[in-house]
Amino acid sequence: MIDMIEKEDNVITEEEAAQYDRQIRLWGLEAQKRLRGSRVLLVGLRGLGAEVAKNLILAGVKGLTLLDHEQVTEESRRAQFLIPVDADGQNQAQASLERAQFLNPMVDVKADTDQVENKSDSFFLQFDAVCLTGCSRDVMVRVDQLCSSRNIKVFCGDIFGYHGYMFSDLGPEHHFVEEKVKIVKSSDETNDGPKVKKPKVDPNETTMVKKMASFCSLKEALEVDWTSEEAKASLKRTPPGYFLLHVLLKFRTDKGRDPHPGSYAEDSCLLLQIRDDLLEAVDVNPELLPDSFVSTCFSEMAPVCAVVGGVLGQEIVKALSQRDAPHRNFFFFDGLKGSGVVDYFGNK
Amino acid sequence: IMVQLVGPLRKELADSLSSCRVLVVGAGGIGCELLKNLVLTGFKNIEVIDLDTIDVSNLNRQFLFQKNHVGKSKAQVAKESVLRFCPSANITAYHDSVMNPDYNVEFFRNFQLVMNALDNRAARNHVNRMCLAADIPLIESGTAGYLGQVTVIKKGMTECYECQPKPTQKTFPGCTIRNTPSEPIHCIVWAKYLFNQLFGEEDADQEVSPDTADPEAAWNPEETAARASASDQDGDIKRVSTKDWARSTGYDPVKLFNKLFKDDIMYLLTMDKLWKKRKAPVPLDWAEVHQLGRSQDDMCGAGLKDQQVLSVGGYSQLFQRSVETLRAQLKEKGDSAELVWDKDDPPAMDFVTAAANLRMHIFSMNMKSRFDVKSMAGNIIPAIATTNAVIAGLIVLEALKILNSDFQQCRTIFLNKQPNPRKKLLVPCALDRPNPNCYVCASKPEVTVKLCVHKTIVQTLQDKILKEKFGMVAPDVQIEDGKGTILISSEEGETEANNGKFLSDFGIRNGSRLQVCVCLEELPRDVEFEVVGDAPEKAPPPSVPEEEKSITNGNKDSAQPSTSTKAEAEDDDILIVDSDEEPSSSTTDVSMETGSLKRKLQDAETGETASKRKRLDQQPAAEDDDDDDDIIALD
Repeated sequence: MIDMIEKEDNVITEEEAAQYDRQIRLWGLEAQKRLRGSRVLLVGLRGLGAEVAKNLILAGVKGLTLLDHEQVTEESRRAQFLIPVDADGQNQAQASLERAQFLNPMVDVKADTDQVENKSDSFFLQFDAVCLTGCSRDVMVRVDQLCSSRNIKVFCGDIFGYHGYMFSDLGPEHHFVEEKVKIVKSSDETNDGPKVKKPKVDPNETTMVKKMASFCSLKEALEVDWTSEEAKASLKRTPPGYFLLHVLLKFRTDKGRDPHPGSYAEDSCLLLQIRDDLLEAVDVNPELLPDSFVSTCFSEMAPVCAVVGGVLGQEIVKALSQRDAPHRNFFFFDGLKGSGVVDYFGNK
Repeated sequence: IMVQLVGPLRKELADSLSSCRVLVVGAGGIGCELLKNLVLTGFKNIEVIDLDTIDVSNLNRQFLFQKNHVGKSKAQVAKESVLRFCPSANITAYHDSVMNPDYNVEFFRNFQLVMNALDNRAARNHVNRMCLAADIPLIESGTAGYLGQVTVIKKGMTECYECQPKPTQKTFPGCTIRNTPSEPIHCIVWAKYLFNQLFGEEDADQEVSPDTADPEAAWNPEETAARASASDQDGDIKRVSTKDWARSTGYDPVKLFNKLFKDDIMYLLTMDKLWKKRKAPVPLDWAEVHQLGRSQDDMCGAGLKDQQVLSVGGYSQLFQRSVETLRAQLKEKGDSAELVWDKDDPPAMDFVTAAANLRMHIFSMNMKSRFDVKSMAGNIIPAIATTNAVIAGLIVLEALKILNSDFQQCRTIFLNKQPNPRKKLLVPCALDRPNPNCYVCASKPEVTVKLCVHKTIVQTLQDKILKEKFGMVAPDVQIEDGKGTILISSEEGETEANNGKFLSDFGIRNGSRLQVCVCLEELPRDVEFEVVGDAPEKAPPPSVPEEEKSITNGNKDSAQPSTSTKAEAEDDDILIVDSDEEPSSSTTDVSMETGSLKRKLQDAETGETASKRKRLDQQPAAEDDDDDDDIIALD
C-alpha cells in the first residue's frame, strides 16, 4: 500500500511542492531536497521516539527505520499515539509502523524488531543519521563512536518524567549554511517625504553564509573532569539536567530499565543513592541535584516528549539539510520550570 | 517521601485531569499537537472548535489529517483521529466559528480551562473577552516559522490579551501605491487592488489610477488643490470607474495592458517633481513587449516551477491569459458578478503575479517569482511541525499548573531559534499584572483621547474612535458636565442631530470626561474617556489612539480617501522579545509583582520577523489570512 515514487533526486514533484509548501518557504528548496535524500535510524518507540518519528516523517526524509525490540504493554501504548489500541503483545516498532507510514506516504518507513545491542557495525552505516532513545550508556557510546567518524550524524535523547535531554554529535567538522538578510541602503528612493527612512531590508534579498561547527564524542561529553578548578567554577551555571542525566543513565545500566511508578519506593531510594555516589565520586555537592528530583523523573510526560521531541526533531532536520546553526551539544528541558537550555560539555 | 504516582503524575493531579473539561479553540498546527498532548497526558473531556476545512498545505504539520481528508472539517477529523489512539477520550467537535454568538459566556463557563490555537487577532480578542467575562483561565499561544510563544491569561491576576496595544497591520500611503512604489510589496498591493477594481468589489480605498492630488507632485500648495478639483471635473479620469472602463473595452487584455502599463505611467511622468529624486518609471508597450517574446524563460530545471522568474514578455502573456480567464469567470457568474481574490485560485494568483511584476519592472525593481509573490500577497506564514509540537507541549505544562492552582508557577515562555547569551532556547518570564487602564479587563477602565475638539465632530468620535478603534458596537456616551448631557445614544435616531456638531459645541474641552457605556456581554462595564484637547504638553499614554497623527502623507485634505490610517505605528512594531527572566535558581519564588519586563526588539535576522513588514492592509478578510498559526505578538 505504500506508493514508492521513484524519482530523480533533483526534481521535486508537484505533490511534494504542494504538501511541503509551508516548510519550503521556511528552509528553502535545497534543504528540502537534502532531507529527501536522507535515511534515518530511530531507536526506541516510546513517547519520545514517536514524537521524533512523527516530526521526521512529516519533514519528508527519504527513509526512516524504526528499531525497537520491546513489546507493546498497556503502559507503553498509552504513552504514544502511533500504536493502535488492540496491539498489546506485538512488537512496538511493528505496531507503530502503519500509523507512522500514514503520516506521509512519500517516506519509506520500515520496522525492525531487533535489539540494538545485537546489530552489527555495518547496519548503522547505511544511515545518514541515527537517533537513539531509551538506550543504555554503553550502547550510545558505542554507536556514537562508530558513526561520527563516518560522517553519520548521531543524536541521543530521553525523557525522565518532567525532565528531558537531547545530545548531538555531528562530527569534528559539520558544515552548514546560514541565511543572512542583506541590508541595502536606500539609494535615490526617498518616499514618504520628510520622514528619514531606515536602510531598507528586502527580506527576499538574502545571502547564504558558509559555516562550520565541531562536536566532541558522547564519551567525552559525559566524562567531564569536575576536579579541575575551571570545572568547579562553572558548576553554578551547569544545568542540573546534566547531573540528572548521569544518575538516570546509571540507574538504567544497573537495573536494566528506567524508574517505574510501580516500584516507586525502592526506585526512589536507589535514585538518591546513585546521586550521592555519583556526585561524591566527582567531588560535586549533592545539593546541585536536590532530593525533589526523585518524584518528578518517573515515566514519560507526554508534553515533555513533545517539547524535547520537537527540538530533537528539528536538530536532525537541520543536520541533514545542513542549514542553520546546530545546538551544541546538549539541550536540557525542565518541564516544571519551562526552561530549556543549550550547553556544551566536552573539549571545545 | 511517599508519593503516589499515576504514570508520571501525582495521583491528585491525575484525578483532576480526568474530570475537568477543557476547550481547544482551533484544530490547525498548534491544535492538532495540543489535542494529542492533552489526551496522552490524561485529559478526558475535550471540546474543540474550528471553522476551517483541511487543505493539502496543512499536511506538513497538522498530523491528524491525511490527503484523503482534504476538504473536510478540521475539528471533526481531528476528533476522529484522536479517538483512534485514545477511544476513551470524550471529545466534542464543532465545525463553527468561535465568534458565533451561540458560544456565549454561559458556554465558556462550562470549562475549567480554555486554550487558544488560533491564527488571527479578531478571534483572539473575542476569546479573551469571553474568558474574562466568564472568569475562566485562558492559555494563549502562537507560532511563526521557528518561533513561538505561550502565555497564561487569568482575570485580575495577569495581563489580558488586549492589555498591551498590539501593532496594527501595516498599511501603505495611497500615493506610494498609486504613484511612487519603491518596493515589490507596493506593486503587489497595487495588483490586488487592481484585481478588485476590475473583477471584484470596488473599494474607494483601493484606487489604482495615478493620484493627481499627490502633494509630493505639486511645486506649490495651490497646485495640489488645482489638480484635485481638476480631476473631479475631468470626467475622463474620475467619473468613469476602472471597472466600467474595462467593461467598455470588453476586458480587452491588450487595451488594459496599455492603459495600466503605458498610458497611466506616461501620465505619472508628467508629474515631474516626483521624479526629481527618484528613478522615473519606464512605460511598457504591448506591441514592443510582444515582439520580445518569452525567449529567456526556461521551462525545465531542478527548481519549483513557481520559483522561476519570468521575463517581461512572459508576464505580459500571463497577464493576458489570466485576464481572459477571469473575464470568463465573471461572465459565467452573471451580470453584477464580483470575484473574490483567493491566493489558491490559480488565475487570480496569476493575475496578481503578472500585474505586480509588470509594475515592478516599470519601476526598475527586480521581478519576483510566483512563489514569492504568493507569500506576500497571501500573507503566508511559513510553518513546520516541530515548532508547533514544542509550543503545544508547553501549553499542556501550563495547563497542569493551572489545574493544580499553581498560578504562581505559570509563565510566559518564548521559543527562540537560537539560544540567548544565557544559553536559553526556551525563555520563561514572569507574567505581567493587568494593565489598570485596559479598557477590556480593568474594573474601572479609563482611556485618554487626544483630539482637536474644534475640528472633531460627534460622528467621528462614534465611528472612528469608539467603533473602529475600540471595536464597540453600540456605545452610549454621556458628558460628565454635571447635567449628564447625552452625546451619543445607541438608540437609532435619538442623537442624530448631534452627529454633525463639533465636540466643542457641547462644551467639551481639555480635561473633559465622557462616560461611555457599552451594553455588550463582552464589556459589561462603563469606560471613562478623558479628553485631552488643545494642551500639547499633556501627552497621552501609548495605548491611546492619536487621531491627529494618524495620517502621514498629507492626503488628509485631498479629494481621495487615504489608504493610510496608522502608518506611524509600523516603526514601533513590537516583535517577539528576548526578555530577561528570573534567576535560574529553583529556590527563588518569583512573585507576580515583578513589573513589566524590559522589551527589546529581536534581531531581524530571520526571515520570519521580516515577513511581518510585508503585511498588507486588508479588512479582516478571511481569505487573506493563511490558515497558519501566528505568533501572539504579531498578526
